[in-house]
This record gives sequence, structure tokens and C-alpha cells, in this order.
Amino acid sequence: MVGLVLASLAPGLAVNGPASAKSKVVFKVAMLGEGVDSLNPFVGIQSPSYEMWGLTYDYLVGYSMTDMSPAPALATKWTTSPDGKTWTFTVRKGVKFSDGVPLTAKDVAYTFNRVLHGKTEQASWISYLNGVTDITAPNPTTVVLKLKQPSATLPLLPIPIVPEHVWKNVSESDVKTYSAAPSNGQPVVGEGPFRLVEGTANGDTFKFEANPDYWGGRPHVDEVIFQFYKNDDAAIQAMIKGEVDFVEGITALEVKHLQGQAGVTAHNGNSPAFEEIAFNTGSVDTKTGKPIGDPNPAMLDPKFRHALGYAVNLPQLIQKVYQGAGLPGTTIVPPSYKAYHWEPPAGQKMTFNLAKAGQLLDAAGYKKGSDGLRTMPDGKPIGTLRLDGRSDSPTALKTMDYFKSWLSQLGIKAQVSAPSSNQLTDIILKGNFDAFAWGWYVEPDPDSMLSYMTCGQRGNWSDSWFCNKQYDALYHEQHVQIDQAKREAEVKKMQQILYQQSPYLVTAYDTIGEAVRSDHFACFVPQPNPGGVWIEQYGVYNYTHIKPASQAGNCESATGGGQLKEAVTATKGGSSSSIGLPFIIGGAVLLAAALAVFGGRQLRRRATVGDRE
Amino acid sequence: MTQTAYAVNAVSARLSARQLTRRRRLAAWKRVAKQFRQRRSGMLGLGILVFFVVVALAAPLLASSSGLDVTKANGPVLGPPSSKYWLGTDDNGRSVLTLLIWGARISLFVGLVATLVSMVIGTVLGLVSGYFAGWVGRVTFRLTEWFLVIPFLPLAIVLASVLGRGLFNIVIVIGVTSWPGTALLIRSQTLSIKERAYIDRARAIGAGRWHQMSKHVLPNVMPMVFANTTLTVAIAILSETTLSFLGLGDPTRTSWGTIIDGAYHAGAITTGCWWFILPPGVCVVLVVLAFTLIGQALEEILNPRLRARR
Amino acid sequence: MSVPAADPGLAEAEAEAEAGQPRRRGYASYVGFKVLGSIGSFFFMLVVNFFLFRVLPGDPARTLGRGRLSTPAQVEAFNKTYGLGESIPRQFLTFLHNTFTGQLGISVEYHTPVSTLIRHALWPTLLLVGSSTILATLIGVYLGIRGAWRRGGLFDRITTGTSLTLYAMPEWWLGLLLIAALGVGFWFIPGLFPTGGLHSPDVNPNSLHGVLDTMWHLALPVTTLTLAYLADFSLIMRSSLLDELGEDYLQTARAKGLRDIQVRNRHAVRNAMLPTTTIIALNIGFVVGGAITVETVFSIPGLGLLATNAIGVPDFWVLQGTFLVASAGVIVANLFANLIYGWIDPRVRT
Repeated sequence: MVGLVLASLAPGLAVNGPASAKSKVVFKVAMLGEGVDSLNPFVGIQSPSYEMWGLTYDYLVGYSMTDMSPAPALATKWTTSPDGKTWTFTVRKGVKFSDGVPLTAKDVAYTFNRVLHGKTEQASWISYLNGVTDITAPNPTTVVLKLKQPSATLPLLPIPIVPEHVWKNVSESDVKTYSAAPSNGQPVVGEGPFRLVEGTANGDTFKFEANPDYWGGRPHVDEVIFQFYKNDDAAIQAMIKGEVDFVEGITALEVKHLQGQAGVTAHNGNSPAFEEIAFNTGSVDTKTGKPIGDPNPAMLDPKFRHALGYAVNLPQLIQKVYQGAGLPGTTIVPPSYKAYHWEPPAGQKMTFNLAKAGQLLDAAGYKKGSDGLRTMPDGKPIGTLRLDGRSDSPTALKTMDYFKSWLSQLGIKAQVSAPSSNQLTDIILKGNFDAFAWGWYVEPDPDSMLSYMTCGQRGNWSDSWFCNKQYDALYHEQHVQIDQAKREAEVKKMQQILYQQSPYLVTAYDTIGEAVRSDHFACFVPQPNPGGVWIEQYGVYNYTHIKPASQAGNCESATGGGQLKEAVTATKGGSSSSIGLPFIIGGAVLLAAALAVFGGRQLRRRATVGDRE
Repeated sequence: MTQTAYAVNAVSARLSARQLTRRRRLAAWKRVAKQFRQRRSGMLGLGILVFFVVVALAAPLLASSSGLDVTKANGPVLGPPSSKYWLGTDDNGRSVLTLLIWGARISLFVGLVATLVSMVIGTVLGLVSGYFAGWVGRVTFRLTEWFLVIPFLPLAIVLASVLGRGLFNIVIVIGVTSWPGTALLIRSQTLSIKERAYIDRARAIGAGRWHQMSKHVLPNVMPMVFANTTLTVAIAILSETTLSFLGLGDPTRTSWGTIIDGAYHAGAITTGCWWFILPPGVCVVLVVLAFTLIGQALEEILNPRLRARR
Repeated sequence: MSVPAADPGLAEAEAEAEAGQPRRRGYASYVGFKVLGSIGSFFFMLVVNFFLFRVLPGDPARTLGRGRLSTPAQVEAFNKTYGLGESIPRQFLTFLHNTFTGQLGISVEYHTPVSTLIRHALWPTLLLVGSSTILATLIGVYLGIRGAWRRGGLFDRITTGTSLTLYAMPEWWLGLLLIAALGVGFWFIPGLFPTGGLHSPDVNPNSLHGVLDTMWHLALPVTTLTLAYLADFSLIMRSSLLDELGEDYLQTARAKGLRDIQVRNRHAVRNAMLPTTTIIALNIGFVVGGAITVETVFSIPGLGLLATNAIGVPDFWVLQGTFLVASAGVIVANLFANLIYGWIDPRVRT
């Protein structure tokens, strides 16, 4: 046993040491949370999978680093006809797949056609081809899209371009289970900055090699390895020990702790996501239009919901529930998307003011009865509001605990429960709720997020059962609006309607905790810049631009400020905390107690046995 | 002297058979209690248990329940032990000591009620499979054996996901997954008791099955059921802790399991908050140990085979 | 997680023997009886398995696709792809047919055949559970023997006390303590052991270095599980041996002037080993439970982690497959234990 441990210790120590000095530069990332669900871009949906496809494949039109607006990728330029019904893209020359076959416009058209016509392929990507009827490649450098109506989301086309000569062998029925994983030592064929050489869906390790011929220039690292961990502590310790260089998805408290570590840089990056308290604004059977479920009648009144917006102390929530990592929320389009985000002016902004909330409720008829509880305008009791947190989300649960205490100060009774996310989905679809806490991840083009609040999405993606004619009309207008300025105005108007009608009280724009061994790697650029995340961005900028700390003297300055450029040398010994000691002492006390007990017991037993003999 | 003896006889003559039985059983319990008192480990277990039961019952006196409300917490975030917070604070600024005191209630409650469920199911099925010789007995015995081979934790996980995250659901999950062991024990006891002479006599004088079961078999297996119960409570408390750790507990209630789960997810190990993760675990260990010690002591007393052994 | 008491099979046999009806069978008929029983168990388990998973709450299409699938047609297509819309009896028939042809369905989340996922996850679990069980058996049996032989001695007091304390400890909590003490490091000692995963990210697992690296990564999880199993096994061995030591023949052997060590090794231990090993085999259900939580704590990509990850989706087919494999493993282990036991100790063949 001892020998075994010693023998196995040796290589470990070697790994700790300068093992990576073997000329190869390897960037090792520890991932937490959900794993890779599929390497096949047509079936996977988890965010780490997007990271894998992003390294393997490339887009026709990707995202800018500053505000995630459309930016050239495989397409060098594009034009659109005056009526917005024809888009012409010019494809970059000289791009090759990893097996040496050149990438042409035909591959792009093939991929897009698969998405347009394949049932499986549609699932994740069809929204980008909204309104597109025909895709052709008249020559190797030109792709033409024909539309039946203008599409506001173009020219953004972040669909991974797959090689036709490989995927034509994958039939419509096979694609559902096609793994697109490396086999027989052959990497996955792609045109992206890296090649996947090792890894399978649900695997714990994914290994990528740099593509030396990448059109954007050879990446500064030779390999990228993703290692998936189930436990934050394990991932963080692996980083402190130098087994990995980056940790993604840690808590705010862990970030705070790591900020004191030598050689480590940690932050809470703003992610384009929000969390909300959502209300049942009127669940109906979508076929008959008759009410279903049992929403509290007060919830159906926009005035009631809006008044509650003044009873939510957002700064306190951010401080207590999010440990300070996050921004107070306003609308469903995060402020990271500067062009589309609507910020409520001071006069309209809901700020924590219980007196004002009380006045608004009084004015709307929800007056306090003799027992101090508010009643419906007709004098009936409101009853107890049901607040559903989620058992798998401590933040949702705590948010509801706070909401309950604020409601009680307003004279409204409430009760918090904690169904699992799955159960809550069922509850929402049946309309058996008053309020719940959940969140959404918002894509750079707000179209799909905005669509979730339309009447047509009730019983489908809408979870607040919100329905408003004016909002729907604006949604359809912006959906086909090709004048960017007009579209932005329409999108902002829609957010204003939502803010007034309050189907959601957006509580927070949350963050993702990240930490990097800045004594190993530098030149990370946040997205959005500044304040954003370092990896799991839209696009794979940092994988191709980070450099080993020793060569970090000249990070490209093209992308502007907000760079992380540190070359701190790790100081040994300072990195481990002294926390193990209390654990050892505690364990020892426990054992000592046990031993004392049995010592006495067994001694006594022995005596009687001796007597008997 | 003779007069006293006469008086005793007169009294016993006036007692009905039922009262005699009751008296005999009372004496038996007293004998067990006496033997138990001589067992140091059992008494120590009892001592630990009494301590935690007192803490659980006196929770409102020891710490205000408002200390559980995250909205009213105003301590430091993950503060180390101090004169104000003897066992430090959690990530919401609540006193860990308060959580432990109130957690004792839930943990003990879940352990005891789940055991009750398990004992009822196990005893009934054990009695039935042991007492009835025909197909009824065989079917219940098979059922018990089948349940015995289903791995406990996976079944508990699945049941917990099906039933949801309420406190009573956890009780039911633990109850319906931990009965087969009890059932087999009761069955073997029943089988041996069934053949004893007085059962035959009862049968001969025409006692019905229900009478035989309730008046003769059940009272005789009860002591073993009792000893087994304490061991089952230990398992139930451990199960509650494990299910809470896997995220299948009731997050709206504070038990020792949910405290450790909270500590684990708040990164207590990385941030060095030993006061958050160590004490709840120690409480679990002590209580489980207490029940195990009591159960073993009782088993030794009640089961003559074991008495010689340990 | 059964309390180390006498195993049910023996208790039952004894009860029946006491009852005076020792209908002892031949070994062949005993084998047949036990095999039939196991097949019955397997079918019962299949039925339980199927129905449990069909009442799981939630709609995988929506939960999985939150923010991605957008039209009802797409959700419907999704459900059709995964057979979620069929009637229950039909699903059951399909389930039976597929199970016996080795098709365990396609994971809703990973779009990969469940059998492939299980095959990948089996090896880490076997490695972890296998090495822990072997270590725990060897050490546990040794501790049990020494403890029982010198009952009440210092060694016995220490081992029994430690075993009972370890037995009272949730194994994953023990794992967390080990991470804190040996993974993170304490005082002036740095964290020596890795705290998660099966190997370092940049090590080729097929090289010698890779094998050693994997062993190094398994050090803490294997220690955790070994300690957890050890508690159970040493208590069982100790009480089995104490049972043996009370038997008359040992007193006779001693009286004949055999040396203690001979008596111990030639007679008592050999006789006590049998019930111990079989009881260990019968306890495999408990072994499976330990693997689930320890894999979660140490991020080991085995069956346990596969199953716990599947709960949140819920990934019917993965849960069903892992549950199937775990139950089948327990049934087979039980069958072997019973067969060996019945072969050596005819008393149980009733």
C-alpha cells in the first residue's frame, strides 16, 4: 500500500514540476457544471458543447469582441439588396479543412441547406435562417441567400460550417446519433483554429491541437485541453497545484478567496444572462383560449405586478444573494448588448420603496383590511401567494425568501416552496403557480428572447403566459426590420412595455466566476469588453490570442483596453491555506472520543471474560 | 413470612391471565433495562442521544428560529468562530450553531419517522411471510428478497426524484427502501416462535390466526423489532444526509444534511471554512454512533446467540 | 448499508433448523432454486425499473432545450425521436426487447447509445470499487482477526472504536475531509494529492506515466472508500471469528496442546473467512451506494457520476441503464455468494 502510494506519487510530483517545459505550450481548462452533451453541432445544446464546436469549426459571420455585433469570419464581406430579400456573402479564399481539402462556398451552402431542410439540424440553428427560402453557391467564393421577407437577424450567421465531403455520408436519420468525435486517432475534420484529437460526449477530457494553417493566424498555444470536474474544490485545487491553468464557473466567494492567491487572477465576468421573478399573468388553454391553472387573481393585474416591483430591494439581493457579483436587473435584454438594451429613465425606474409600493397598491384598490392584510379591490382576501424557488438553485430560493419578507411588510402573505426545475416546468405549463424565480441566457440578437414574451409562445416557451397586442405587433415589425436604428428603437419600446406590464421583475444580470493562472498565461480579453467573461464567449478569440506569460510582452492591442496582462510568478508555499489543520484536529478529536469510549467498554468486557474463565 | 406468601398468592389469584402476561412482560423489560445499564457503550450511546434529543426539543429556548431566516441574517459572510458566533457563520451570515440546533430537529425527526414507516412495513411483511406457510408467505418472502437486491441508494435517488423534494417525501423514500432487512429478521424470529409449544396449544384450543399473531407471535418478536429499530434509525439519518448532499433533500428546511450540502456548494473547503462543514458532520457521526451503540447493546441482551459472541 | 449482523440467509436457515424441519436439498437442486430466484429478482427489477422511470416528472424536451427549441413542431419531433410520446405498454415491450438485445436506448442528453456511455463509465467505477473492495477486505479481515483473537486488548479497542466511528460517517463527508486535509494541504504541508478526476489533463493514460498518474489520482477516493468499507468488513470478520472461537472443537484443539497461532490459522480463521467473504459479497448493494457519492465528490467519470448527472435532466435511458447495471451486478454477486455458501455450508440448503 505504502509502496503503491509512493510509486504513484512520483509522477504526480513530476506533473507539478516543469513538465510542460517540453517545448509544447498546453492551455488546460477546468470546466464545472454541465458536460459536453454532443460534439455533433446539430444535436448538442449545452454551452460547453458550443465551446468545442467553436474551436473545431468556424462561422460565416461571427461576433465582435466589444458588443457581440456581427463581425467577419469566413465571410470577408457581404451586401444586401435594397428590399432586404437577397444577401450575398464573399467567402475567404485559401481556407482548408484539417484533412487538406479546401473550404469553398459550396461547404457553406451545404451546411445551411442541411439546417434549412433537415429536421434534426433545424433544432438549434434555424432561427438564424429565418425567412430564408433558398441558399446557393454560384461560385467557390460566393454564397447567396434568398428570403421571402427581410430578416432582422442577418447578417449574423454563427452556424458551424461543416465539411460537405465528410457530412454527405451522414444521412438524415443517422445525424441524430452521429458522434462527430475523433476515431482511430484521426482528428475531427474542421476548419477552426484547433482540431479535436481526443474526447467523446460525456467524456471528462477533450484535447485539441492547434491548426497551423488557420486563416486567422496560428494560435500561440499548441494544445488546449478541457478537463471536466464535478466539484468546485477539486477544480480550484487543480489550478492552485498547476494541473490546470483556468477554472470556469466558480462561485463569487471562491473568486474572492482566489483573488488573494499569488499567481492567480480571478474575477466575476458579466455574462449575457438575467434572472427574474416571473408572474402568472394569465394561463390559458392555447386552443380554446379558456383560463387554465389557478393563478391568484391579483397576479393578472399589471398594476398589482408593477407595484410589487417597488417592493424588491435589488441592491440588497445582489449583495446578499449574489455575494456582490452581479448587477441589479431592469429588462430582459442585458446591458452588455448596448445597442438593444433599454435603461428605464429615473422617473420610470422601479426602486425599492415600500411606501410607494403601498400607495400604488392602494390606488389600484388593493387596500389593507382590518387584519392588516391587503384585499382584492372587491374586498375579498388575496390569500397566500405561492413563490416557487428551485431546489437546484440556492439563488432562486433565497431570492424568494427575501421577496416573501418584503411582501409581508406590504401586508401580503406568501409562502416559498422549492420544486425541482423539471417539476417547475410542468407546474408552469399547467398554470398552477403565482410566481417563480428562474433565468434566461440571452443571445446577442435579442429576437428569440423577445419572442418568448409573445402571445404565440404561450404553452410553449412563454413561462409568464404574457400576452399583449401592442408588444406582439412591435415584435413582428422588428423581426423584418432591416433599418438597424429603427429596429433598435422598436426593441427598446418592447422592453418598455414589458417593464410597465411587469410579467417579469428582472432581479439580476448574473456573472460567471473565472480564475486563471496569470503566471502561466496572459493576454485574455473579456467579452463584452470591459467587464465580460474570458472564455465561453461568443466566438473563440482568447484561445487564438492568449500567450504564455513569458512571451506576454506584446499582447495585440487592436482590441482595446480591459486586457488582463499579468506575468506574476507563483510563490511556493503561500498558495496553500492552513485550513486542513482544523479538519485534522476535528477528526482527531472525533477519533479520540471513539477510542476512549471503546477503551473503557472493552476493558470491562475483558475483565468479565477473564473472571468467567 | 407465610402470611406474605399467602397474600401474594391471593393477589395473583385475583389477577386475570391478561394481567399476568402484562406483569411478566413488564418484568422482562425491567430485566432488559437492568442489563442495559450495565453496558457502558450502550449507556454512552443513550447519553449522547439524550443530549441531542434535549437540544432538539429545547431548540426554541436555545436559539431563536429567526436565526434560520436568510433575510434576517446580519452576521459576516463565512465569518470564523467568534464570541458572538461560537461556530462561525454560513455564506448567508447565519450562525452555524443556530443551524445545527434547529437541524437536529429535522434530522432526528426524519430518522425516527422514516424508521417508523420502515418498521411497520418490515414487521407486517415479516410476520406475514413467516407466519403463513402457503403462497401468501411465499409471495411476501419473495417480495422481500427482491427488494433486498435492489441497490438501496440508486432506488432512493430515483424515488426521491419521482416524489419531489418535500420533507415527508424523504421520510417515505427512506421508509420504503430500508424495510427488507427488518422483514427478514422478523420472519426468522416468527418462524422459530411459531413452532413453540404454546402456539400449538393456542392452535389446539381454536385460537384464530389473528389472535395467534397479535397475542403470541407479535409480542415475542417485539423486543427484536425494538433493537432493530435503533439500528434502522442510524441508517435513516445517514440516508437523509446523503440524499440532501445529492440535492434531493428539502432545501426549505435546515437539516444537518442540507447544512453540509450548503457548505459544500459555498466552497467551504476551498475558502477554508472548517466551522461550516465539520460540526454538522460530527453531529451526524455522533448521533449515528449513539443509535448503533444502543442497538448493539440491545441486540446483545435480547439475542442469546450474540450474547456469547461479543 | 446493512448493519454488520448475521446474513439473512443463514438466519433463516437456522430458524428453520430450529423449527425442526430441516428439508435439506441436494446441491444441484439448491443451485437450480437459487438461479430461478435470481431470474425472478431480475424480472422484478426490470418491472420496477421501467415503471419508476416512467413516472419521473418533467419534460426532457423542454428542460433540455430551454432557450433553444422554439416551435411546438420541434418539441414534437424531439419527443418522437426519443419515443417519449408512445403508450406505456408499447414502451414496456420495446423496453424488454431492447434490454435483451443490449440496446439500452439513446441518451436524451448525450445523443449517444446508453450502452456506449455505460461501457465508458464502467471502467473507472470498477477500478475504484474493485481496488477499494480488495484493500478493504484484506485490511478488514486482518484487523478483524487480530481484534477478535486478542479481544479487549488495546489493538481490539482501537480498531473496533475506529470501525464503529467510520461506520457512522457518511463516506462522502469523509472524502471531503480527506480533500481538505490531504488535497488542499494544512499547516506547512502542501496539498499532496489531486482532488478530482482520473488523470492529469495532459498525460497520455495509456503510457506507464499515465497509469501511475491514474493511481496517484485514485489515492484519495480509494482511501475514502476503503475506510468506509473497512469499517463494515472488519466488524463482520471480528464477530464471525468470535463465533468460531466459541465453538467446542477449538477448545478441544487448544486442550490437545496446539499452539495458539496454529489454532488460529488452521481452524478458526479458515472457518470464519467463509461467512465473512460471502457476507461481503452480499453487501455489494452498499458498495454501489458508496461509489455513487464518492465519484461525485472526486469527479470520477464512472457509473455513479453518470447516474447523478442524469437526474437533473432527467435522462430516462441513462438512469434506467445505470440502475439496471447496478441491480444486475448486485443480483449476480448475491447469486455467487449464495452458491458458494451453499456448497460449503450445507446447513443453508433448505
